Amino acid sequence: MINRRTLGKLVLGLIGATALMQAPAFAQTAPAPFDNPGNVKIALVRYLSTGDFFQAYLSGVESQAKALGVDLRVLDSRQDAALQADMVDQAIALGVNGIIIQHGLTESMKEAAQRAVDAGIKVVAFDVNVENDKIPQVEQSDRDLARLALEQAIKDNGESWKAGYVYVAGIAPLDRRNETWVEFKKKYPGIEEKAMFGTLDNPIANSVANQARSVVTANPDITVMFAPYDEFAKGVKIAVDEAGLSSSVKIYSADISTSDIAAMREPGSAWAATAATNPAVVGQVSVRALAQLIAGEDPGKQVIVPPTLITQKDLNDNDIKNMEDLSAKLPQFAHADVAMPAWMPNPNKK
Amino acid sequence: MSMRELAVRYGFLVLLVALVAYFAIAADGFASPQSAVFIFQSVAITGVLALGVTATLVVGGFDLSIGSVATTAMMAAAYVMVILEQNAFVAVIACLLIGIIVGLINGFLIVYMRVPDLLATLGMMFLLVGLQRIPTEGRSIATGMTMPDGSVAEGTFSAAFLALGRHRFDFFIQNLIPVSVVVLLVLAVAIWFFLEYTRFGRMMYAVGSNERAAQLAGAPVKAYKIWAYVISGIFASIGGILLAARLGRGDIASGNNLLLDSVAAALIGFAVLGAAKPNAFGTAVGALFVGILLQGLTMMNAPYYTQDFVKGIVLVVALVFTFALSNAGRR
Repeated sequence: MINRRTLGKLVLGLIGATALMQAPAFAQTAPAPFDNPGNVKIALVRYLSTGDFFQAYLSGVESQAKALGVDLRVLDSRQDAALQADMVDQAIALGVNGIIIQHGLTESMKEAAQRAVDAGIKVVAFDVNVENDKIPQVEQSDRDLARLALEQAIKDNGESWKAGYVYVAGIAPLDRRNETWVEFKKKYPGIEEKAMFGTLDNPIANSVANQARSVVTANPDITVMFAPYDEFAKGVKIAVDEAGLSSSVKIYSADISTSDIAAMREPGSAWAATAATNPAVVGQVSVRALAQLIAGEDPGKQVIVPPTLITQKDLNDNDIKNMEDLSAKLPQFAHADVAMPAWMPNPNKK
Repeated sequence: MSMRELAVRYGFLVLLVALVAYFAIAADGFASPQSAVFIFQSVAITGVLALGVTATLVVGGFDLSIGSVATTAMMAAAYVMVILEQNAFVAVIACLLIGIIVGLINGFLIVYMRVPDLLATLGMMFLLVGLQRIPTEGRSIATGMTMPDGSVAEGTFSAAFLALGRHRFDFFIQNLIPVSVVVLLVLAVAIWFFLEYTRFGRMMYAVGSNERAAQLAGAPVKAYKIWAYVISGIFASIGGILLAARLGRGDIASGNNLLLDSVAAALIGFAVLGAAKPNAFGTAVGALFVGILLQGLTMMNAPYYTQDFVKGIVLVVALVFTFALSNAGRR
């Protein structure tokens, strides 16, 4: 036991030392307890963790925690709702100053989150509603994602076109994106939805490609495909290529990944634009909102991370090949000015 | 021939023709050579998998691992080309090797370890779903991806490999028939001839209908069974190659939908020509039947959930044809 404790002190000391070295990065003296960040412990309690998005989210959390100089513990329940609730209790027992709840189920997390608040621990939640006024919600705005992509579609194609729409009901982010699509159709009566299709059979891109192929054959007059999820967009692109319609159809989507970038940049690609939030930035914002709470500031009830529009032209002009290039060359994608009080260190500043 | 026999024998084919006629009238653009080719293309991958699973059904077994073999082969192809920077030939060989090895292990577990076929291949399915994620720590593979150690993968999908999914042969009309359709047709004819007309194939049916009798007659039953799983593994890995060539990247996927669709095609195949047993021709027709139905419905803007519903109806009707009607006919 003594060994572990000394080790813990050593680690804290080291982290403290790193923080001291970074001290000049602080634009302003940080408020307590971040004037001595080595003593601040925060926990990330995860529900979902496999996949590119969650990997990038974690790297964002880690980079912001490092920039602040705080001690970060990552507790990963790997999609076990009961375990995730237990992990909150574990974090309380560890004596952390703050907890980030990343995804999860309202039913299982509501009470656990309340217990943490009762124990005087600050909590923020990302993409899970724990129905608690004391807990700010960090969100990526799905409505803004859809809006940005559709505004670009209108900019490129005018206000009246025939559209194909890819949608599967019952998936929360897709439902929110759908609301924007419905609004747009109302606002621009010239937009005619000729076909709606979509499936989540995996591999999703392959199944959607089969459907989209039928749709473009049956409706050769479609000029715009709105596919507000990148797997959908990949499928539509395959179908449009196979049907030889790459020059007459334009695809607008949401989300981005390295392979999406390659698909958008193929010569003559039909994939015109996508709107995306950088998961690493969402991770950074989660930590910053929590830090503000711990310092006694109010980040607001909802902390929304704004999305970025990425067009084929942006990618080609800047010769962007992967997600790292994207962050490096599109500054608005690399950093969001959300939850950024003057004392907050910016992990993206080199 | 009585009415019932006629119905059992040709009922399904009549249904198929009626369906085509209906969609040709009801759905714009359905009755065109492009659309016909496309329907074949949409079922090429599940069709190839279904032909493989037919081989295991013939020996009285079952292979639940085909979907994950296909997605594992897809990941392997992507890994070999994008991360190891090898050419298309190496990628194809790597995929086929995976299929053969998985088939051998499945066969070994079932024949020598006496694990029931469903359980052995179920275990293999989970194993492969996990295995395909290990090399990249759960990431999908695409050119320019960042590796777990922070380096960037420089390899690309070679043009020759992508051609497997994208090249089209001229056939009366320019650029009409995609490679995947040719692969499906060649494999279908090959496995049909193999099962129906070679000694090896007939012996596999003998093993399937009465294993003990086949053994007493001196047939190496164990070898036939293992071969069936190897065939299934190879076909599944070919399906994976076609999938990778179409998508142009390595996608993390369980392949469960591929498994279910291809098993459905093979089971529907029982009903074709009143065979009431697994057969390659029936499997191919079964896959085509599902393809026509789904593409026709999509053209008519039917939402995705109706498609699963319709697939289910077709399967149930086919099974009724197979079991109730044909048995009654024999009695």
